[in-house]
Amino acid sequence: MAERRAEAILLVALLLLGCSGHLVPVTEAVWLTIPSSGTKCVSEEIQSNVVVLADYYIVDEEHAHLHTATISSRVTSPYGNNLHHNENVTHGQFAFTTSEAGNYLACFWIGGKHQEAAGLTIGLDWKIGIAAKDWESVAKREKIQGMELELLKLEGAVQAIHDNLIYLKNREAEMREVSEKTNARVARFSLMSLGACIVVSVLQLWHLRRFFERKKLI
Amino acid sequence: MGTRPGYANLLLLIGLVLTSSLAPVSSLSVTVNDVECVYEYVLYEGDTVSGNFVVVDHDIFWSSDHPGIDLTVTSPAGNVVQTLKGTSGDKFEFKAPRSGMYKFCFHNPYSTPETVSFYIHAGHIPNEHDLAKDEHLDPINVKIAELREALESVTAEQKYLKARDSRHRHTNESTRKRVIYYTVAEYLLLACVSTLQVVYIRQLFSKSVGYNRV
Repeated sequence: MAERRAEAILLVALLLLGCSGHLVPVTEAVWLTIPSSGTKCVSEEIQSNVVVLADYYIVDEEHAHLHTATISSRVTSPYGNNLHHNENVTHGQFAFTTSEAGNYLACFWIGGKHQEAAGLTIGLDWKIGIAAKDWESVAKREKIQGMELELLKLEGAVQAIHDNLIYLKNREAEMREVSEKTNARVARFSLMSLGACIVVSVLQLWHLRRFFERKKLI
Repeated sequence: MGTRPGYANLLLLIGLVLTSSLAPVSSLSVTVNDVECVYEYVLYEGDTVSGNFVVVDHDIFWSSDHPGIDLTVTSPAGNVVQTLKGTSGDKFEFKAPRSGMYKFCFHNPYSTPETVSFYIHAGHIPNEHDLAKDEHLDPINVKIAELREALESVTAEQKYLKARDSRHRHTNESTRKRVIYYTVAEYLLLACVSTLQVVYIRQLFSKSVGYNRV
């Protein structure tokens, strides 16, 4: 009985530990500094049909509970659509599936009237694709745990690597086409410009000769 | 899986939470005007911190290309762990001398803002010390962690290749545009200059020169 209670307490503690990004430094997050005026933007080029999951929070370093600083954020798609907009919060999250391939931009700025003289540090936890997969729900659904779940995660990573490789291969093929076309164009245009030079000088000579003959100078 | 005592399950869960929190960060791009610093927390001393960065080419039409940016990695104690100077993209790897917040600063020596795509990963493999401390951590967890880190390095390499491919694509586009526009400009200039030459010579000879005047 006491064992079960201890288990329950430990589980709750774990959940709290996992959820509170403020208490435990989250290793997958990157910290950025927002200037006191202006915005800080991060972007990533993402293919279409990819899950993006992000979480951002203010990192309080020394004066933990004194600041009332808030941040605002905006996420835009490559075609300019506003995917997420939040004003004056201390932490927030957004999740979306990309519908078009391109550059996705997430911008942060200090919101509210509280102006930090030195700027603010925020933590951004940005995950796309396989890293954004919810393994807990998969584990619950398939009723697997421990070693099997770890191996399943590794299998997912291998599949993602394979997909990425195919994507890179296709990109390289496209670029090779463009390169070869440019190469052919350079050769063609250089020969054309040489031909144009010769034609123009012949025209010049012919015109001047006619002109001088008309003027009876030759 | 046979029946395990409740505590073992919980400890395994703890282990999983801790090790699974070392998921890879996605490769973000940031615009560097002068200095941009990014921070990354390293949990354990002795972790291998690896990463790469690539400067994505900007459309500089008329002048020559940007010479590159510098990267400086500072440990939480304040000393510089690694420096890379004047490069348009490189990989780096070092063993973290202590745990804490590491600072990765990109410095752009010129006034043209550049976009840098970077990726940083701090990987931990449990060693014998961790195994001795926690008796429920099997040696197989070490092997799984090593496997995970190896796959992670493949993924990091792919992200680097993807960023370099993107930069190459920009360079190709820039070359294609330069070829077309410079050729058109060249033809126009040629036509202009030759017409001007003819007009000038005509004008020279249409005035009274006194060549064949009687």
